[in-house]
Amino acid sequence: MSYPIIRVENLSKKYTVSHQQEGYTTFRDAMTNGARSLGQVLFNRQNYKPRSASNEDFWALKDVNFEIQQGDRVGIIGRNGAGKSTLLKILSRITEPTHGSIRIKGRVASLLEVGTGFHPELTGRENVYLNGAILGMSKAEIKRKFDEIVAFAEVERFLDTPVKRYSSGMYVRLAFAVAAHMEPEILIVDEVLAVGDVQFQKKCLGKMGQVASEGRTVFFVSHHMGAISTLCDKVIYLKGGQVEASGKLKRSSNFIFQMFFRIKFKI
Amino acid sequence: MGTTDELIIEAGRTESQYWRDLWKYRELFYFLAWRDILVRYKQTVIGIAWALIRPFLTMVVFTVVFGNLAKLPSPPGVPYQILVFAGMLPWQFFSGALSECSNSLISNANLLSKVYFPRLIVPTSAVIVSFVDFMISGIILLGLMAWYNFVPDWRIVTLPVFVAIAFAASMGVGLWLAALNVQYRDFRYVVPFLVQFGLYISPVGFSTNVVPQQWQLLYSLNPMVGVIDGFRWAILRGQAEIYLPGFILSIGLVFFLLATGIWYFRKVERTFADVI
Repeated sequence: MSYPIIRVENLSKKYTVSHQQEGYTTFRDAMTNGARSLGQVLFNRQNYKPRSASNEDFWALKDVNFEIQQGDRVGIIGRNGAGKSTLLKILSRITEPTHGSIRIKGRVASLLEVGTGFHPELTGRENVYLNGAILGMSKAEIKRKFDEIVAFAEVERFLDTPVKRYSSGMYVRLAFAVAAHMEPEILIVDEVLAVGDVQFQKKCLGKMGQVASEGRTVFFVSHHMGAISTLCDKVIYLKGGQVEASGKLKRSSNFIFQMFFRIKFKI
Repeated sequence: MGTTDELIIEAGRTESQYWRDLWKYRELFYFLAWRDILVRYKQTVIGIAWALIRPFLTMVVFTVVFGNLAKLPSPPGVPYQILVFAGMLPWQFFSGALSECSNSLISNANLLSKVYFPRLIVPTSAVIVSFVDFMISGIILLGLMAWYNFVPDWRIVTLPVFVAIAFAASMGVGLWLAALNVQYRDFRYVVPFLVQFGLYISPVGFSTNVVPQQWQLLYSLNPMVGVIDGFRWAILRGQAEIYLPGFILSIGLVFFLLATGIWYFRKVERTFADVI
């Protein structure tokens, strides 16, 4: 059986880019700007224009539509700035869309960055619990899977060492291991496979393949065409915030597909 | 799985899911607070004892300055130390919560921009951390009572009510500051000032009675006045009287701040990830 587990309709996201101000607005700026525009409204009602000359709208996503069936393994590709990360951020409810809607059936777990919420001062053991909770697992669930997570990450000996003393490889392995043991209906993964050695990368791909083979849906963003073609059976190609192409990926046509995409879209 | 609820993501539509999510993520309150407490005393030699030493030394200094040097009055039969400490407990809770809470969103910026959970959890956990400190400092109060052989009467059972009000006050002001701090980093500089200033305009080192009668109502505009007076009334056998109109004003203000704090936080939280 297959029904759309995710339906995205006319999804758009606008960011306002300012060209003049530095990093963050200060309260003083907000007050002076507010006072100035208030003054303009009061005294100069006719030709009042909001002071936005230095601001420019930027559409990170524009009218994106697609449907995903349960069990699909979807690869999202596109060049830098095509809107991939924005799409994943909206799907995982970190930020809101400006227009459009998404309907999702099932629990979403997203892994946009390896080791979000890891605290350097805490030990490996403590971080597993903390990170699990941040990713939405319950304490009982983490406890049940604790040994499995540690074995997957291969850090048994250093469980009670603060992670600030870990090598970066160990750190990343532990972080991925926690995320890999969530049991969501929909898993969203952003470029996390650029970490670890080749062997660990294979292990991660294997784990994600296993997740998918259990009938769960996987969203996967990568620039690594090899990983996309082994893992995914459907591809969405984003360009300039819009869906440029999408379609099924047949096992037999992997190589041709790769060549086709490389030539056509220069990625 | 076909029966799972459908989640709809649209602009301006988080309302219906929000409180259910808050319940679903309830363990995160505990984990974030637990993390902050663990981290605070890592690599310290005396560890959690710091939570006892700081309020104790402040109490000694206040007693010497306000009680012995300035010779401010204390109610009959109440040692000045206990008078000071009964006011300092809620004040330290409030000021600690305020500093932690206002910075909580900024210091967890990496979480806010990478994972979804109801954002209300972050500042609330910060208040919970201060609450744990508050409970630990409470031990000193018990010690002082034993030392001066000061036995409270039935009014002590009302203390949890005043603790709840202190919690509400910390949350209310904390939520405002946390949310404002995300957009306007000026509040990073406002908060330490506010905390320092507040110590002197709240009746921490002295009792509210030293404030002239005609200024009492105005004085009660400080929400901590009501909270501290309530604590003193409950702990000091009713020797410290509550000025009722002022108390009601203070408490009203506390709940007004809490309600508007939650409202403002909810209003701006959907933009946190984009602004922070």
